[in-house]
Amino acid sequence: MRIKLLAALTVALLAGCATPPPPAPGSAASKVVVMGKLKNIEVGPMRVARENGFLTVKVSLNNTSSSNKAMFYRFAWLGNDGFPVADEEGWKTLTLYGSQSSILPAIAPVTQATDFRLEVQSQ
Amino acid sequence: MFARFSILAVVVALASGCANNSPVLGGKNIGYGDSKAVELVTNEFGSTDLQMIAESMTRSLAQSGILQGRPVVQVYDVKNKTSEYIDTREITTSIKTQLMKSGTARFASDNTQMQSQVDQLKLQNQSGLYKKNTVAKTGNMIAAKYRLEGSISSIVKRSSDYKDVFYKFSLQLIDVESGLAEWMDEKEIRKTTER
Repeated sequence: MRIKLLAALTVALLAGCATPPPPAPGSAASKVVVMGKLKNIEVGPMRVARENGFLTVKVSLNNTSSSNKAMFYRFAWLGNDGFPVADEEGWKTLTLYGSQSSILPAIAPVTQATDFRLEVQSQ
Repeated sequence: MFARFSILAVVVALASGCANNSPVLGGKNIGYGDSKAVELVTNEFGSTDLQMIAESMTRSLAQSGILQGRPVVQVYDVKNKTSEYIDTREITTSIKTQLMKSGTARFASDNTQMQSQVDQLKLQNQSGLYKKNTVAKTGNMIAAKYRLEGSISSIVKRSSDYKDVFYKFSLQLIDVESGLAEWMDEKEIRKTTER
């Protein structure tokens, strides 16, 4: 009985230490890079389309706290080889009111962009 | 003799050990910053505003589908209707650069470049200095199908506690032949300082 308890405790401890699995390639989570911290802001589903040859992205954001939160973000536009196809974008700031859900729209600067990476950071 | 040589060797070794291998010269209080960082030094028009306006306008125009077949566009200077000094030519230069990089438009010589263009054509055709088969012929310049013009205005409000600046940048693409505005967009920016 004692051995079983010890074994269960060991398994529970090991499970607690395990790092979460990396996001699946191509998933929304795999496209988000948190630079430092992103507190109280959730990055949700993304809609990706191609309009008039340009990749367009809409990212849903949710402020999980009841107070206003400011975040900084920018997109990196990538080609088929996974490398950037345009110059680095400037950082932009966005304020989300308490408990607000919002959509962040973006358009790729060049038609060669086939993928993107969203870099985010909160204050 | 050996002792003297040893001391010399130690001094040379120490001196070379202290040599500065850093590629930085001077500048203890000076550093290069990120040119893409959000600039919040004051609430006057700044680099982030310029970058945001150019980026937003360019992408909206490029993706609108109006610029089919890389038409020739003439860019006019952005009218500054704010109370502060803004180098609006930098806004149009950024917009032109980004549209050019997107491959959606070509640009005719604008007001500032036209004189240089005319001077060069005159020099080639009238001076007799150049080989005939290398001279650029007159009458072959491409006229613009569209003109791009915009304005920036601001509303500034002050109280004892706040200074609020609201910028509105408008840009429109007009068909030269018909005079119709084919595309238009705005970018609004609010900057507030709490004293």
